[in-house]
Amino acid sequence: MKVVECKDLTKVYGRSNALNNLSFSIEENKITGLIGRNGAGKTTLLKIMAGFLHHSSGEIKVFEETPFNNLKVSANSIFIDNEMSFPPALSLKELLITAGSFYPYWDQKLADRLFDYFSFNPNIRHGNLSKGMKSTFNMIVGLAARCPLTIFDEPTSGMDSGVRKDFYRAVLKDYLAHPRSIILSSHLVEEVEDLLEDILLIKEGEKCLHMPVEDLKEYAVGISGKTAIVDEVLSGKDIIFEQSIGTDSTYVVIKKDGSQKELEKAEESGLELTAVSIDNLCLYLTSKTTGGIDHVFS
Amino acid sequence: MILNSNSITPIYMQIAEWLETEIINETITSDEKIYSQYQLAEMFNINPATAAKGINILADENVLYKKRGLGMFVATDAREIILKKRKSTKLHDMVHELVKEAIQLQVSKEELVNMIQQMHVKIKGEEQ
Repeated sequence: MKVVECKDLTKVYGRSNALNNLSFSIEENKITGLIGRNGAGKTTLLKIMAGFLHHSSGEIKVFEETPFNNLKVSANSIFIDNEMSFPPALSLKELLITAGSFYPYWDQKLADRLFDYFSFNPNIRHGNLSKGMKSTFNMIVGLAARCPLTIFDEPTSGMDSGVRKDFYRAVLKDYLAHPRSIILSSHLVEEVEDLLEDILLIKEGEKCLHMPVEDLKEYAVGISGKTAIVDEVLSGKDIIFEQSIGTDSTYVVIKKDGSQKELEKAEESGLELTAVSIDNLCLYLTSKTTGGIDHVFS
Repeated sequence: MILNSNSITPIYMQIAEWLETEIINETITSDEKIYSQYQLAEMFNINPATAAKGINILADENVLYKKRGLGMFVATDAREIILKKRKSTKLHDMVHELVKEAIQLQVSKEELVNMIQQMHVKIKGEEQ
């Protein structure tokens, strides 16, 4: 079953398109990473999925219904980010108990155990928490709600590295015990890649690619060596990234097109082949300008 | 074992290799049940789909077989299959690298064979 299905989804803010003809679908019970640069449209997309925002044109279905103003979607999904507002009159402990009454699959025991593990003071107010503590508390709500569609928008912002690791482990463990659809947006690909099954990469409101993480690892290959030899190999190839090193060496990233023989030949002619990390690949694929930051200073 | 996410070898290959080593060392023996994708996911902190891909590689090579509804089990001749495969791939590649390096350093064939023999004696001696 498909949990989320988009067709030509477009969202217009004023005169600019935040999302532009986005089409994709997400299968049930997968952990999907939504990756993109700042301003790529990640949050807009997630908020439309959760029913917080109207879309401008195209179609979006969540649990086969349009999410905006929809009870089925509201009851079965939760959207977690670091701007969540909670009633200021309630203490943290009261918030956890109250939140439970909104979600049918809420696990109070899990919420309490996580709450104790991260040593929260039960009597403090949400507004008085530090940025990292707020993110941690919101994460607890997101996990304990056990919603069939759980959306985390930049969940680890502000968390220290220990809490981040705990968070990813907690997501994985709870997912193994209670499989559900989880969508996680992040720009720190390296941190989340092992946790993810699929990656949805967006660039300027458009889909860049959507594929299993393991396939993405073999999507491209890095080649470095003398510029003259590199150029020979490159003819007719899809170049993703290019950088010159020193005066006569080049590093290029090209899309693998299945011709293993050619690559072996390149290696024999003295070029070095390297794997391209998903983190770097996503950066290269979504960079807006060629030449990078160096170009600004030249 | 800690997985190396920076390695060129994909995570699912590393999982397959780890399982192979467990079988070679006879930690898991013939007709014994192998870890499920969920156990592997929990052990190595990875997505269960990735773990499943590692298991499936071994199933395709007939190292593992499936019992419907019960999970994956180690084949009777699993150890032989793995040993044969490792010899023709991993060991072969390592020898390739070794000889290439020796030629680059202008080490003669006799000298190289000598070095290998000495190393063999040394490691075997340490094991006993």
